[in-house]
Amino acid sequence: MTQELLMSSTETRGRPGVRRYAMVIDVRRCIGCMACQVACKAEYDVPLGVFRTWVPYRVTGKYPTVKKQFLPRLCNHCDDPPCVRACPVEATYKLEDGGFVLQHYDRCIGCKACMASCPYNARFMLPEHRTYTDITKVVDKCTFCYHRVIQGLVPACVQTCVGRSRIFGDINDPNSEVSQLVARHATQVLRPEQGTKPHVFYIGADRSLTDYGRAVYHKDEQADIERAAFNRNKHI
Amino acid sequence: MNEYTVFHTMAWPSAYAIYFFVIGISSALFFFSALSWFREDYRPLRENAFYASFVLLAVGGLLLIGDLSQPGRFLNILNPAYLNFQSPLAWGGLNLISFGLVAVLYFFMMRKGDEVNGKRLAIIGSLLALGLPIYTGFDLTVHQHRPVWNTPLMPVLFVGLSLVSGAAVASFLTKGSEAANSAMRRMMLWSGGAVGAMLISLLGTTAYGGVGAELTFMFLTSGTLGLIFIGLGIIAGTAVPIVLLLAPLGRQQVGMMTASVLILVGGMALRYSILYGGQILQTYY
Repeated sequence: MTQELLMSSTETRGRPGVRRYAMVIDVRRCIGCMACQVACKAEYDVPLGVFRTWVPYRVTGKYPTVKKQFLPRLCNHCDDPPCVRACPVEATYKLEDGGFVLQHYDRCIGCKACMASCPYNARFMLPEHRTYTDITKVVDKCTFCYHRVIQGLVPACVQTCVGRSRIFGDINDPNSEVSQLVARHATQVLRPEQGTKPHVFYIGADRSLTDYGRAVYHKDEQADIERAAFNRNKHI
Repeated sequence: MNEYTVFHTMAWPSAYAIYFFVIGISSALFFFSALSWFREDYRPLRENAFYASFVLLAVGGLLLIGDLSQPGRFLNILNPAYLNFQSPLAWGGLNLISFGLVAVLYFFMMRKGDEVNGKRLAIIGSLLALGLPIYTGFDLTVHQHRPVWNTPLMPVLFVGLSLVSGAAVASFLTKGSEAANSAMRRMMLWSGGAVGAMLISLLGTTAYGGVGAELTFMFLTSGTLGLIFIGLGIIAGTAVPIVLLLAPLGRQQVGMMTASVLILVGGMALRYSILYGGQILQTYY
């Protein structure tokens, strides 16, 4: 049997003794309560208008057979992250043990190259004024709750998920729940053609949300209004 | 409402398009000034083109720093402990600074009239100047998921745009010299033609690309962006000036000036639409 090639030196897939944290999101179990989004906001004091994790949904089908399709989104902590390559000052880096893609806030110059390079829109610019922290005007993103995981906890969104839709663990460990889920179920990753090798796997995700570009044909007018309202610097 | 999603903004705003425009012109003007050490027809451009190039370099540098959300940390890009050579921005930062330093030395040699060192610095400076549009092209090319940007054409297209826009500005700086005007007219024609050919190729590969490329083609060829890209960039800013320069009127001062203005408008429009075109679709994902 042929083996998958490790295309980049940063990839740790199957490397012995190295942990590789991943999240499996079983969309069939997601009820759209948005508790993950709220838990994340609370954990990090994520400012208004930006998100480390978000849960978009679409209503599919025709009455009376309609269904709400959810797709929780977050940073994919790619095995070969384009944002790490793009950052000119190594403010974005990948931890070899764990595979967390993290950020040196004090080093970030705010060139937004990482934002331009992320195929998942996972990165955002922090606003100028924040209430509880002085980390402002640098790029931020989901950290897979690195500070919690190193203390043996799971990420805040996983902890709070009432339907156990989000499962977190070391995918390099064949006995972990995430490994078992990925081995036993048909899983999807977002935009696999980009070669990023994402560490967020979906079970039962709907095409109406995973397909790139589909939203263009079904524009959410409200989102455009909100975007214009928040975008004071006319960056759209 | 049947759906919910959060909105995403574009990473790189129009300030980058202005920077691409300004720095492209700056590098081409330096190149023309440098050519004057080797070709007599470029001689009237030596001082004027260099001064304009230097001013635009300063403006471009300030634009680039000003657009950082942490402008005070721009020095991080010079810190060897931080530099990531996988990023074109790191190379670009070094290129920009070394070009600036060589330009200062070149200024002194030019003022002194030192033929030997002037020629040496002209060659080094020209190579560094060539690096500026190349790196700005690579800035876009390396983002593998961005339609239009992620093509090997981009650095070459930016070199072509740099030469044609630079020649358009230089045509105002020739002090009425017939030889220099003729050289700039030829430069605009050849580089404008090359840009036109590359744009046709870019449109073709985008129209027949994957889902992202096809949708980006739709954005680039319709609505306001279509007006900017096709109307201002390709028709008014590339095709019309070429026709004008080929016509008898294009050999006269007024025709050349008109073509130059159109080229500058088109150069800005093309950079703006290529920058935005590669980002629109992503904001919906």
